[in-house]
Parts: sequence; structure tokens; C-alpha cells
Amino acid sequence: MAVLALRHSEFLSRGARLFGLSADAVSQNNAVVEKLALPFPLLSDPERDRAITPLGFADEDDPRRISRPGTVVVSPAAEVVFTVTGRDYADRPNEDELLAVIDDLGLAPTTQSPPIVGPVEAGPNAVPASGLPFYFRGAKFAVMALRGRHRELGEGFRDDTKEYVQMVERYLDALPGVEQRRA
Amino acid sequence: MAIDFEALDNLGATWRLTDHLDAAAVITFHRGDF
Repeated sequence: MAVLALRHSEFLSRGARLFGLSADAVSQNNAVVEKLALPFPLLSDPERDRAITPLGFADEDDPRRISRPGTVVVSPAAEVVFTVTGRDYADRPNEDELLAVIDDLGLAPTTQSPPIVGPVEAGPNAVPASGLPFYFRGAKFAVMALRGRHRELGEGFRDDTKEYVQMVERYLDALPGVEQRRA
Repeated sequence: MAIDFEALDNLGATWRLTDHLDAAAVITFHRGDF
């Protein structure tokens, strides 16, 4: 989310607004909006019946009833022009790929009001803002250690871990932007 | 095929996709910070 926030203006200049969506409670999403100083709203579908299931993102194998990760781009004509479903929470489309999809729509620039946040309650597993650099670095070095330990798993595993590390590095690079938006 | 859906906004009010389509919408299904 921090990476998308960093590139928010690039989406707006191409005529697209950003929205996050999850099965988390409104108060938990509010905690993430505040923590990452997000300039766009995080929508909530705690029962999965309003958006997550109708859009085909319900993860029936997950006992926590959370959505599968993914991204949908909807045109102003309400047509889905791009959809991708990730294998896991770390499997995300590259922002450049999304911007190229929106470029093809040829839209005029738009604006987006910052979200008005209600009551805040961080989720039980939420990492505080001050811990995010350590969290991401820990994830990065754990994956690098596993890559070294399991070379026998071959190119597929190596490529997956490389992709994961690149994603974490993008998140680390986006963290200074959180502080700048907060200032 | 045109779509629509609703969810709750940051104040807990109902948010409808079709109320926000004077521009394109990029909707990311997220998990916490990711």
C-alpha cells in the first residue's frame, strides 16, 4: 500500500483513483490509513458478501475468511479492463503494469480527496509504523537465507525468492514517503 | 460486462463503485500493510 501511495499522483494524472479493499474491520483499515498516511481510502467488506465474493476474490480455503490478494482496474464505463489474482499477499502486480493499463484508457487527469477516517483500532497482528523497516528487512533477509539454504530447489524457487526480495525492497524504498506525507 | 459493488468506507458508510466512476478505479485487495 505504501508503494501505491508513493505513486498516487501518477495514477491521478492518468485519470484513475486508488482504493484498497479487504475483509478487515473498518477500524482496522483506519489504523492502516493512519499508519501509512494513505491518500486514498481502504474499503471494508467484513462479511465478504458486498465486494469480495461478487468480484470472485473470496478465499474459501482460508479459515480467516480474508480475500485473495489481487487488483482490479475498472473503467469509467464500469467495465473491468484488468484483473490479476496473486498467489499470496506478496504476489502483486507491478505498478508500472497498472499504469500502462490505465494509459490505454486515455482518460483526463482526476483528483481524489484524502479519506476521512473514523475510529481506529489496529488489528491484533499489526506491525507499528516504527517497526516496519525492521519487519521488511527481516522478511528480506529470511528469504535470502532460505534461497541460499535450498539451492537444490532450482530456478523456480530462486526466481520466486528474487521477486519477493524485490517487492520488499520496493516497500522499504516507499517508507520515507510515509514520513513525508505525515509531515 | 458492467459491474458494480459496494463496501464500507472509512467512516463505516456504504460506498458504491458506480458513485465514483467519473474516473477509472484501481481496486487493490490488500492484507494489512501489503
